[in-house]
Amino acid sequence: MKTILLTLTGRKNPLWIGLALLTAALLALGVSHAFASQAATPAQTASPLHPTFALLDAEGKNVLESSQPVSTMQTCGQCHDAAYIESHSFHADLGLGNYQPAASFNASNGIFGKWDPLLYRYLSQPGDDRLDLSTAEWLMKFGERVPGGGPATTSRTGAPLTQLSGDPSNPETALLNPATGQPEAWDWSKSGVMEMDCFLCHLTQPNNSARVIEIQSGRFGLANTATLLGTGLVEKTAGTFTWNPAAFEADGKLKPEYVFIQDPTNNNCAACHGEVHSNSKDPLTISACDLTYPQTATTGQVIAAQKISVSGVNLSAKDTLDRSWDIHAERELKCTDCHYALNNPTHAQEAAGTSPTHLLYDPRKLEIGEYLQMPDHNLARGQSAQFTVSPENKGTMRRCESCHDAAQSHGNWLPYSAQHMAVVACESCHIPKMYAPAIQTYDWTVVKLDGSPANLCRGINGGSTTTSLVTGFQPVLMQRTNIDGQTLLAPYNLVTSFYWVYDGNNGPRPVRETDLKAAYLVEDQYAPEILAAFDADHNGQLDETELRTDTIEKQSAVATRLEALGLKNPHIEGQIQPYSINHNVARGEYATSACQTCHSSTSRVTQPMQLAAYAPAGVTPQFVSDSNVNVTGEIVSAANGSLLYQPVTTQDGVYVFGRDRVSWVDWLGALAFIGALLGVAGHGTLRYLAALKRPQPAVKLEKIYMYESYERFWHWLQTFSIVFLLFTGLIIHRPEMFGAFSFRYMVTIHNALAAILVINALLSLFWHVTTGEIHQYIPNFLKPAGIVDDMVVQVKFYLGGIFKGDVHPFEKRPEKKLNPLQQITYFGLLNVLLPLQILLGTLMWGAQQWPQVANFFGGLPFLAPFHSLVAWLLGAFIIGHVYLTTTGATPLEAMRGMITGWEEVETHE
Amino acid sequence: MKVKPYWILGLIGILAVMIVPVIVLWPKAAPASNDPWAGIPQHPVHVDHKDIVAGKFKNVTDPLTVTGQDITTACLECHPQAASDLMMTSHWTWESQPFEIPWRNGETATIGKLNQINNFCISAQGNQKSCTACHVGYNWQEGGQAENLKDPKNVDCLMCHAQSGYSKGKYGNPADGLNLVAAAQTVAAPTRATCGKCHFDGGGGNGVKHGDLDESLIYPSENLDVHMGRNNFLCTDCHVTTDHQVKGRIVADNITVNPAEQVSCTQCHSEDLHSDQRISLHVKSVACQTCHIPAMALEDPTKVNWDWSTSGQDIGDDHYTYLKIKGSFVYEKNVQPTYKWFNGNLSYRYLLGDPIDPTQPTYIDQPAGDINDANAKIFPFKLHVAKQPYDTGFNYLLAPITAGPEGYWTNFDWNNAFKLAEERMGLKYSGSYGFTETYMYWPTTHMVQPKENALQCDACHGENGRMDWKALGYPGDPIQWGGRFDKK
Repeated sequence: MKTILLTLTGRKNPLWIGLALLTAALLALGVSHAFASQAATPAQTASPLHPTFALLDAEGKNVLESSQPVSTMQTCGQCHDAAYIESHSFHADLGLGNYQPAASFNASNGIFGKWDPLLYRYLSQPGDDRLDLSTAEWLMKFGERVPGGGPATTSRTGAPLTQLSGDPSNPETALLNPATGQPEAWDWSKSGVMEMDCFLCHLTQPNNSARVIEIQSGRFGLANTATLLGTGLVEKTAGTFTWNPAAFEADGKLKPEYVFIQDPTNNNCAACHGEVHSNSKDPLTISACDLTYPQTATTGQVIAAQKISVSGVNLSAKDTLDRSWDIHAERELKCTDCHYALNNPTHAQEAAGTSPTHLLYDPRKLEIGEYLQMPDHNLARGQSAQFTVSPENKGTMRRCESCHDAAQSHGNWLPYSAQHMAVVACESCHIPKMYAPAIQTYDWTVVKLDGSPANLCRGINGGSTTTSLVTGFQPVLMQRTNIDGQTLLAPYNLVTSFYWVYDGNNGPRPVRETDLKAAYLVEDQYAPEILAAFDADHNGQLDETELRTDTIEKQSAVATRLEALGLKNPHIEGQIQPYSINHNVARGEYATSACQTCHSSTSRVTQPMQLAAYAPAGVTPQFVSDSNVNVTGEIVSAANGSLLYQPVTTQDGVYVFGRDRVSWVDWLGALAFIGALLGVAGHGTLRYLAALKRPQPAVKLEKIYMYESYERFWHWLQTFSIVFLLFTGLIIHRPEMFGAFSFRYMVTIHNALAAILVINALLSLFWHVTTGEIHQYIPNFLKPAGIVDDMVVQVKFYLGGIFKGDVHPFEKRPEKKLNPLQQITYFGLLNVLLPLQILLGTLMWGAQQWPQVANFFGGLPFLAPFHSLVAWLLGAFIIGHVYLTTTGATPLEAMRGMITGWEEVETHE
Repeated sequence: MKVKPYWILGLIGILAVMIVPVIVLWPKAAPASNDPWAGIPQHPVHVDHKDIVAGKFKNVTDPLTVTGQDITTACLECHPQAASDLMMTSHWTWESQPFEIPWRNGETATIGKLNQINNFCISAQGNQKSCTACHVGYNWQEGGQAENLKDPKNVDCLMCHAQSGYSKGKYGNPADGLNLVAAAQTVAAPTRATCGKCHFDGGGGNGVKHGDLDESLIYPSENLDVHMGRNNFLCTDCHVTTDHQVKGRIVADNITVNPAEQVSCTQCHSEDLHSDQRISLHVKSVACQTCHIPAMALEDPTKVNWDWSTSGQDIGDDHYTYLKIKGSFVYEKNVQPTYKWFNGNLSYRYLLGDPIDPTQPTYIDQPAGDINDANAKIFPFKLHVAKQPYDTGFNYLLAPITAGPEGYWTNFDWNNAFKLAEERMGLKYSGSYGFTETYMYWPTTHMVQPKENALQCDACHGENGRMDWKALGYPGDPIQWGGRFDKK
């Protein structure tokens, strides 16, 4: 059968493979049914689909005959194109593919070569004067999360590791002897290498801990075999692996009930990535900020369907958290549903822009058999994570909008939903809070007595999620630029790290952990010089607040000791790594939906995030340069010495109504408004006092039908519209001052009233033009001098005559209702201020439909404050306008005229 | 200044011009479901009968001489219809309306304690001396009860209405030595405790029969039942009662149930109340109870297994594991229900004389419905498994006489118990018996949980799901294979 299978593979006939798979599946089903009732079956359930196969060693011999460790490349390569799989897997590559010795810390874009200040250990580059991690020690140290292949089998030059001869000066073939502090040669042909461990992800219960034991002992060649411990295939006794003949058929293949191959489950992914809890019956517990679960430690993301309220985490107000940790986990999505193999015909989608524009769907997919033979192990990935490996695959994953029609689910309640979607990533509202703690700071500038750094966790008061109070934390919102160029606000956790750097012969390098410990510790106690500098209370111990490099004196004490070890120019650097948060999504009812969460002075959008409780003196940490986050905010020091990241939205071209405002606009506008109020109050008081002193003048009055009904209608409609527009606009501008009003409803009312105002203005313009009444509003520009003269007369009346009881200089008549001053004022108002305000408002309203137009005029950051300014001026006008209506024959006469149409006016003989 | 008031019309007109567009453009709130709070019951204070009852019996010198019938007679003076109404209900008749029995060629039969068996105490027939403690009447006569059932004076008002001082003794009569006048003075509308006396203790003890009804519901905590616990519902708030006809039928004693006579969640709750469309899509195939009753017997354990074959031994009695008179039991707490398609009816109800296959479990009842029945939904059941006696000669289930001086509980002689049954009930006994496994399904519909505690997706779907999809008729988990109404 082996030869047949190989022949099949050679002929690449998918039909044959399919038939073989089907037959084997039926067989496996039948057999597994037959064995179902037997008590002696292994704990795992056998794979329902995968056919049986022989386990081969590196030579291609059956392991049962050779008693050698299993070779996954040989074994799985019987049917699958193992070489293709390994070469198409960033999980195998881990940065080896673009490893390039560099003056900077980072020689690649993956964990093989890219320095991680949390894990701290540094993979030394060739020629570095101090060996930190050799390839072998890197594997021992981080091998738990290395699935094999790539740097575990291949050297940086591309040659198999086993072909390298041991050379203590080459970090690929050396190992630091901790006793002597000197590198010694490492023999790869003796240790073996770690082939890509298919079992790690494709077995129901891979034995990672047994694998890790082999890796940490440097027995790399046994790692994949150790993964099978517990399946009944292999036993380990006294350090020797023995294959179990009972697990094999006479023809050397596995018995079907020992075939546990399956698609990767969430638990498989969890082994390296983070906290996954797939059994909702047991309360979930988390270890806080534990780098064994890197995704959870750095972001607080937990993949669990369980409701937070029934988990075992000691969360404050837990009873109210009647939602699952992750809605997608609750809805039974698997990691691989989004992070699928890129050529998986079930999920594959054409990358944007790779197919002709007229083609919606290309049916020429891989057949399932072809896919199974050569599955692309570059898994679809997002574009926001801190991982920089495999940049060519960024954005290959389906994102929220690939599955969800957000317009449909938001359009009916969220005003300006398109505008929101254009500015805010889905996660910003749908991941309102993280309920697991996450790392805030890793301070490797100091070491505790146990050799660990001073670190700080956010979202928890203490160290245990079951006994300390967990509070969770709100991610900070930062601008993320996607590969399509779109910039969105998205949630992040910021992890700040501080560490010592020295000048090595190849460039700056992080101080080795061993050197750092040597500087701080002598025989597991702090060195006297360190104690002298750090121990403020002289109790011989360094507590949390003392063990900080927060003064220059402390820093020099450490630097002196580092220099004594031969390190040049030791100094402290700081780095801020944004960790993107995309999981732990909440359903609509738990998402942020209250407008004032963002639209208020305490806006969520600009909520700062603490970076560190303290910073080493004189060191400002820098954001990493290789993330797609735009750092437009500021790093600020608080009074208590803590460092904060403060987002600044206006620098991103975002204007958040209710939060953002330009203070000089408000001051100027308020001054104009208050000035108008004071002016009319003063003028009115003087008029009143003057009227008391003199007798009522006998002025001849005449009752005239001044305003037609339509004039009154449009006037009052405009009055109410403007007043309510000003009022609702003010609420939108300063929502926290008007907490009783719903922001969302005010926006709706404002828009509706604006539409009414515009329609009313156009209709009344039409009426004025067609009736010829428009001429009343147009000053006689043919006689500019006359205009001015008349205005002066009117002004003089308001400043003088009105107090003496003089008659109005100009009669008010239906055919000439406006005095010269009114005429010029309305001319300005109706030709400049009102159209301007309408234009600004329309542009703001249209910002979501036609963002280019709004942006052409400066975007919301310009339009919105301008709109506020004009609103202030309109408000000031109304004050003056209303006051001047009281200057008629009697104070309320003009008002009555506008209500009834009939007004008593002076008649000049 | 004088302004005629017609300006108000202008003002109204202008405001209308402004308000109408605002209303049209108003953001739509989430779809309003009908208001379940409208169904929150008000419990008016019941008319105090203390003086009324005292007035009826003011000439009585020794209250202990007053009989139940005397009390009923007094009640009927003011409530003349009460007895005749009650006598039309199955609380009185102990049997259902007659059904045409499909598996007996259209023969008609009734089902009830009067004439059929279950797989708990098996049969009330012939054992009425004790069983009638839960019959709402006095003076049951073995064999001759037909006449007594016609007498309105035999209706036991106190059983449901007396709030204290009352309990039943033999043959449905009051226990000895009770002051029935005092008990009658406490009458009020039935409470959870009065209904529960029979319905919580059915099958011979607390929580025996129903997994979702037991004495913990007398004073229920908030998390035991959202209706009774959080909102203090009484039984009759859902089991609406008109003229003593209580709404809600136990399907185990019926074959088809008229939906109009049944209690349903939609009495108060709209079927499309879930804001989550994904959940709403379930409503066509999943009963409310399935998600909202994740488990039953939350506080008091319920009997899930009863093995009569081990009875009669002196191996030490324990209420929860073994009684000499009844055999071995298994009680369980926090029991996950069994899920079956259910359209509200039964497809089968074992009737005395029905042949069985003793090598296979016999279903005492079978919920009707399957995946192809559009009216059926997946519904939670308590499955009670028993080993009970059958006639190895005639291959049908037997109904032993257990009570009384000649009964099994006195003599521990099965043969004698079956012979007695032949005499009293007419169920022929061949002379040899064995024990066979029987299954009985009990719908689970109380101990409803608020949404916080309702099942989540992964309770049923995915690798750890509780549903046996294949047994329900699906090709596989419908989250992947599609639901029964999907065209996948």
